[in-house]
Amino acid sequence: MTAYLLGTRRRAMLWWTVAIAAVAAMYTAFYPVIGGMQIEGMLESFPDAVLVALGWDAFTSGAGYVNATVFSLVGAVLTLTCGIGAGARLIAGEEERGLLELELAAPVSRGAVYWHRIATLWVFLLGPAGGVLLVVGVLDPVLSLEIPVGHLVAATVALWLFAGAIGTVTYAIGAITGRRAHALAAGSGLAVASYLLAYLGPLAELDWMTNLSPYWWYVGDRPLLNGADWVGMAALVVLGALAATAGIAGFVRRDTNV
Amino acid sequence: MLAIATRGLVKHYGSVEALRGLDLEVESGSVTGFLGPNGAGKTTTIRLVLDLIRPTSGVVEVFGRSPRGAADLRRRIGYLPGEPALPDVTAGEYLGYLGRLRGRVDPGPLAARFGLDLSRSMATLSRGNKQKVALVQAFMHEPELYVLDEPTSGLDPLLQQEFRALVRERVADGATVFLSSHVLAEVETLTTRVAIVRAGVVVDVDDVDTLRRRAGQEVEITFAAPVPADVLAVPGVTDVEVTGTTARLLLHGEADPLLRAVTPWHVVHLRAQDRELEDLFMEFYR
Repeated sequence: MTAYLLGTRRRAMLWWTVAIAAVAAMYTAFYPVIGGMQIEGMLESFPDAVLVALGWDAFTSGAGYVNATVFSLVGAVLTLTCGIGAGARLIAGEEERGLLELELAAPVSRGAVYWHRIATLWVFLLGPAGGVLLVVGVLDPVLSLEIPVGHLVAATVALWLFAGAIGTVTYAIGAITGRRAHALAAGSGLAVASYLLAYLGPLAELDWMTNLSPYWWYVGDRPLLNGADWVGMAALVVLGALAATAGIAGFVRRDTNV
Repeated sequence: MLAIATRGLVKHYGSVEALRGLDLEVESGSVTGFLGPNGAGKTTTIRLVLDLIRPTSGVVEVFGRSPRGAADLRRRIGYLPGEPALPDVTAGEYLGYLGRLRGRVDPGPLAARFGLDLSRSMATLSRGNKQKVALVQAFMHEPELYVLDEPTSGLDPLLQQEFRALVRERVADGATVFLSSHVLAEVETLTTRVAIVRAGVVVDVDDVDTLRRRAGQEVEITFAAPVPADVLAVPGVTDVEVTGTTARLLLHGEADPLLRAVTPWHVVHLRAQDRELEDLFMEFYR
């Protein structure tokens, strides 16, 4: 089932991977121009808290630059968009178009329909995350970014877990409600909220805000600079697992296609 | 053995009462038509049978079991939706996938029989070809029970013929067919028994022959001269309309009382015609 679901999405997966890899490559390639010592003078004019919030205080190293641009910003946004989009489409979107009907009328349980689609979502996200890993990994020696391989892998896994967790929340809301718009609203709402919490938390010096933010769990500890943030990754896994559990409970109970 | 049984089946969508206590029995091995106007609850009933939706109250059983969560029960059902929606993959990919969900079912032979090109993307298929895809997936695993929702809509006459031949073959092999339609002709040619549904309840169940008898005859009698109206007041005659020397009426049951009543008068012309079942259903629908 997962093989078929992925097979029908191979083109979308390829495009997302290529697009995200291209953007990651573009940003990373600008490091010699923007990054390093040149930018330091400019950054001095910003308040420290803002720099910390934006992740720009470490702009001066290769790892800091890639962390701030690719992992905290464009890579995160694009991979997340991909996860939210796929999460909303996989049950709710297909259901609204009537595409689930024949599958659900086949001798498969609702649970199988549900879990195979979650698996599809997570495998699908390996594409964009892998694209980022590949691009940064290849450009690292070329541009002397000096990012340890272990840190890069840890940051990529965290990116995958972040997009996967929020994608799963989106998916679960879609499975519970059967409405793609509700799923999209929940997923993007959570994404924006978690960015705001991670941004405002340090400014307001309120730890509970940052601690509640899935975005902070993902990149707050800067895995590209500091290595794997096991607690943050575990929190993302727990978020995904809770959402998935709530989603299946709702999906097996409700009416479909109505 | 009953293939499908519902008792007091109620289904509400919010404030809309789609089914209001539907009682239905489909005998195993029978070909039962499920006839009613659009919005009467036909598709709702079918979706309850397939566990796509859940009843508000009442009982639905398939082969004596509740369909709720019973995936294995659906192995025994072939379902043809009224308006099949198909993904943008090739017909072969999709039918292959649905075949694998049912074990190792090969859609090839049936696709060939219906002249369906499996290599074409379903996004480019005509309505008729999409209907073929839906037909193939419903029939390819040779189930015991066929649940067909408006099966021949979108099929050209030649394919309708092929479809009917296929249904008859499967029935001869002992399969049960439950066929919904709002078009009487579709049901009449295939089924022996008809359940008529209106506004969420079954209002009548009968064999097609009995229904036809009950539908009665339209009779037109022309007399040489006008006759008193009470001449035609005989048992079995209703809806009498007299214009000049011509009387039009509906006759249910035997013709004898009417013939005896008009014999003393000079009958110039007599015409009697079986009513279309369609007319009968119009009475039910009113």
